Amino acid sequence: MTTAVPPRLTGSPVRRQDGDVFVTGRAVYTADVRADGAAHVALVRSPHAHARIVAIDAAAARALPGVLAVVTGDEAAEHCEEIPHGLDAGHLGGHHAVVRPLAVGTALYAGEPVAAVVATNAADAALAAAAVEVTWERLPVVLDAEQALLPGAPLLYPDWGDNLIIERDVGPDDFTAAAADAAHVLEGELRTHRGTAAPMETRSYLADWDPAAGKMTVHATTQNPHVLRTVLAATLRLDEEAVHVIAPALGGSFGLKMYGNREDFIVPLLARMLGRPVRWVEERSATLLAGTREQVLRYRVAAAADGRLLALDVHAIADHGAAAPTHGWGMAHVGALATGLGYALPSCHVRYQVVATNKAPWVGTKPFGKDGATLLLERVVDRVAQVVGVHPAEVRRRNFVPPDSFPWLHTSGLELDSGDYATALDLTLKRLDHPAVLAEQRTARAAGRLLGIGLAFELMPESADIPGALVSAFDTSTVRMSPTGRVTVLTGVTSPGTGNETAIAQLVADELGVPMSSVQVVQGDTERCPYGFGNISSRSIITGGNAAVLAARDVAATLRATARAMLQVEPTEEVVLAGNAAALAADPSRVLPLAVVAGAVHTLSYRLALDVEPRLESTRTYRPGNVRQVPDALGRMQTYTTYPYAVHASVLEVDPETGSVTLLRHVVTHDCGTVVNPMFVDGQVTGGVAMGIGAALGEELVFDPDGVPLTTGFKTYLLPRAIDLPTVELEHLCTPAPGTPLGAKGVGESGFSGALAAVVNAVNDALAPHGAALESTPVSPPRILAALQAVGR
Amino acid sequence: MTGEEGRVELRLTVDGAERTASIDPRSLLLDALRDELGAIAPKAGCRTGDCGACTVRVDGAIAKSCLRLAVADDGCEVRTTASMAVGGELTPLQQAFWDTNAFQCGFCLSGMLFAAEDLLERTPSPSETEVREAISGNLCRCTGYDAIVAAVLSCAAPPVRSSRGA
Repeated sequence: MTTAVPPRLTGSPVRRQDGDVFVTGRAVYTADVRADGAAHVALVRSPHAHARIVAIDAAAARALPGVLAVVTGDEAAEHCEEIPHGLDAGHLGGHHAVVRPLAVGTALYAGEPVAAVVATNAADAALAAAAVEVTWERLPVVLDAEQALLPGAPLLYPDWGDNLIIERDVGPDDFTAAAADAAHVLEGELRTHRGTAAPMETRSYLADWDPAAGKMTVHATTQNPHVLRTVLAATLRLDEEAVHVIAPALGGSFGLKMYGNREDFIVPLLARMLGRPVRWVEERSATLLAGTREQVLRYRVAAAADGRLLALDVHAIADHGAAAPTHGWGMAHVGALATGLGYALPSCHVRYQVVATNKAPWVGTKPFGKDGATLLLERVVDRVAQVVGVHPAEVRRRNFVPPDSFPWLHTSGLELDSGDYATALDLTLKRLDHPAVLAEQRTARAAGRLLGIGLAFELMPESADIPGALVSAFDTSTVRMSPTGRVTVLTGVTSPGTGNETAIAQLVADELGVPMSSVQVVQGDTERCPYGFGNISSRSIITGGNAAVLAARDVAATLRATARAMLQVEPTEEVVLAGNAAALAADPSRVLPLAVVAGAVHTLSYRLALDVEPRLESTRTYRPGNVRQVPDALGRMQTYTTYPYAVHASVLEVDPETGSVTLLRHVVTHDCGTVVNPMFVDGQVTGGVAMGIGAALGEELVFDPDGVPLTTGFKTYLLPRAIDLPTVELEHLCTPAPGTPLGAKGVGESGFSGALAAVVNAVNDALAPHGAALESTPVSPPRILAALQAVGR
Repeated sequence: MTGEEGRVELRLTVDGAERTASIDPRSLLLDALRDELGAIAPKAGCRTGDCGACTVRVDGAIAKSCLRLAVADDGCEVRTTASMAVGGELTPLQQAFWDTNAFQCGFCLSGMLFAAEDLLERTPSPSETEVREAISGNLCRCTGYDAIVAAVLSCAAPPVRSSRGA
C-alpha cells in the first residue's frame, strides 16, 4: 500500500537552492561560458525597413585586422535549410513565409540581419560589420496593419498577393441573434501598442563544431533546449544526436528566448562554416526589436439592463511585423481563445487577422496574447457598468462564471476547471478597503484632483498544448537515488530564472522524505535530461513538477518495499519516508536511515525483496487529462491545462497639468491552486504586475516615419524602476486544479494582464469627471494630455 | 589598430588579487574584467549605463563598468560581488537577498547589491522611499522590486528617526 506523506516542504517558502551562487556573482550565464579561441560575431543589419539587397561588398571588411569571415545571406542559405516554423500559418489556411538565418534578396524590417562578420574579438567584428558595404534599393514601407490590408499596399511577400499572414474565426458568429433582446449594444475600438519582453540578459550563443566527431555543441539562451536541438539539426542538415544544446543560467526571458528565432541558427551555422568556436552576444538595441501586443480591437457588445453580458463580437487586427518562424503570431489566436474567458458569456466571436508590416516580427511574449483579451473585456465591462449605472465591481460579479458551474465550456472551446472569481473580487475590495478609497476619491474630486480606481479580472489559460507543434501539455522527469541516498532529478522543463528547480526539489524531497540538500535538479541539457518542451506557458511545475512527483513515488515504493524486507514486516505494513529515514508507521522506533535502505537496494537485492525490481530510478511523463486535441462538432479544442486567475485593483492620481500618473496602490488577489512555494509565487505575481504597469504607462516601441526604431535602449524604452512602483499588496485564494496530482496551476504569466487593464481602467476613472476617455495604450502623459485637451480641459 | 599590435598593459587589483592583462585600449572596464580577467560577476545588460548590471566598486566607489575605459582605471582596486562575501561568509545583505527571494534570474544582482550596500553605508536606517531611490539606477525585470526593497530594509540598522519617506 502507498501512503501519502504529510507535506513538509511543499507549500513552504523554501529559499533558492543555489542562491549563494547568484549573490556571490558565480552563476554562469551563456555569455560567461569560457571558450578559448572563440571567434566573435557581429551582424550587419538593414538600416531600412524595406529594401532590396542589390549587392554586398565585403572586401573592405575582410581586409580589416582580425576578420576571419564575412558571410552574406546568400552564402548562408547554401549551407542550411530554411528555418522550420514552430507554428506554420501555411498549414492552417494562411501563408507560409520562407525565413532563413540571414536575409536573402530583400530586407523586410530595419534591424534585419543581412550578413555576419566573424572576427577574433568583438570590437573588431563590430568595426568590420560597419565596413560591409550594402547597396540598397529602397522599397515602399507599410507600418500600419490596417493600411497593409488595403488594396495597393506595399507587399512584403509579393507572391502572397496580400499582407495577410493568417485570418481565423474563434467561436460561433451569432452576435445578431444573441443580441436580439439586449437593452444596450455598445460599439468600440481599443488600440494596444507595440511592446517587448526586454529581459535583462540579451540573447547569446556559443557554438562549437567538432569536424572530426561531426558534433555541434551549442550553449544557448533558450527556454527549449530539446526543441532547439530538433530544429537546429533540421536546419543544419544534421542528425539530432549530432547536436548538443546546453542552456546555462538564463537571465530572464518572458518568451523572448523560445526556440525558432533566426538568431538561434546564425551562430551554429557560422561555427560549422568556420570550423571553430564562435560566440555572439546580442546588442540591447536588437533585443528591443522583438515585438508583441500591437493590435486594433474593434468590438460590439450586447448587455442586458442589469449589466449581464449577452454577446461579444470582436475583430482583432494584429500588427505582426514581418513573418517569422517563431510562435509569435499564435498570440493573436490565444488572445481570441481567451477573450471573454471566465465570464458567463452566451455568445462570443473573435475574428482575428495577423498582418505583415515592415517591422521586426512578434515574438512570443508573456502573457502570450491573453493580455489583449483581458484589456478588452475589462474595458468593455467598465463601459457597460457606466451605461447601466451599476458599479463595475457588481457588473463583474453578475457576469462571472459561478463557482458551482465547473467544468465550464467557453464559446472558444476552452474548458475552465475551477475557480472562485467573486471571492477573489471580494478579497481584493476588502484589502483595498473599497468604501474608504471611494470616500477618498469623492474628497479628491471635490478638490479638483484626478484620482482613479480601476478594477480588472484576469484569467490565464496555462500549460498549453498546440496539436501538431512541438509545444505539448505534457513533460517528463527522471528521479534517481544513489546508493548513498542522494537524489538527482532530470527534467525536460527549464527555468528562465524563476527558481522552479527549487520548487521541483521541494516536491521530490517531500515524496522521498529527504532534506532539500539531498536533491539536485538538472535542467537544460539535451544529453542529460529527458526530451522535454522546456519553459513556456507557465508549465514547469504543472508538467515537470507533476512528472517528478510521479517518478519520485515510484522510487519511494521501491524504498518502502525494501525497508519492509529489512525490517521483516508484512507487505501490508505502512512505511513512512520522512526525516531521511524509513520508519514503520505503527512503530516509529523501528526505523532505518534512508541511505541504508538505498544502499541495500543496490547491494543486497538477492537477499531482500526479491519481488521488487532493484532500481531506484524512474522516468515518468505527466500528461494532463483535460486536454482535448480532437475538435468538437464546432471545430473547437481544449488546449490548456490550468486556469489561474486574479482580480486587481489599482488606485492612481493623474496630474492634469503634466499628464503624469502616480500609482498609489495596487492590490491583487491571486489563485494558482496549490502553492508549492509561496515566496516564488509572490515573486512571479509581483514581477508580472510591474511589467503590466510598465506596459500600461509607458513602455512602447516607437518608429520613425520610415520604420526605423527609435527605441534602441533603456533611455527610450522605459522599463519601470523601483521608484515608479507602489508596493504590490497580495492576497491569495486556493482552488486546487482538479484531477491533477498536485492541484497546482501555472503562475508564470500571472499579474501582467490584470495590472495593465486595472491601470488603464483607473486612468479612465480618473479622467471620467471631465468626460475624457482613453481607449488606446500606453496611457502615457502625452496621450492623457491629448485626451483632456480633446474635451476642452 | 588591433590584434596584438597596439595592446596596452592594464594593472588592476581585482577582488583582492593583483592582476595584469594585455588589453585592447578600446576596452571598457566591463569587457576587460569579463574577457581578460575572468571576472564574470558584472554583466553586460545595456552598455549604456541604464541597467546597472555591470556595477563594480572602483577604489571603493560604486561605478557602472560599461561607462569606463579600462585604461583610465589602470592601477585601481576593483571589487565585484564575487568578493563581497569575506572568507566565504555572506554579508547580511547577500543573505537577505537570498532569504527573501530578492532576485529571480539574478542578472541584475551586481547593481542591486552594490547600490544597496552603498546606501546602507551612507544611510544605515533608510526609509522605503530612500531604498527605492537608491536602487533606481538599476533595472530588474523579474521581481517588481518589492522583494529587493524588503531585503534591503531588513538589513537596516534600528531607525533613529521616523521611517517615513525622505
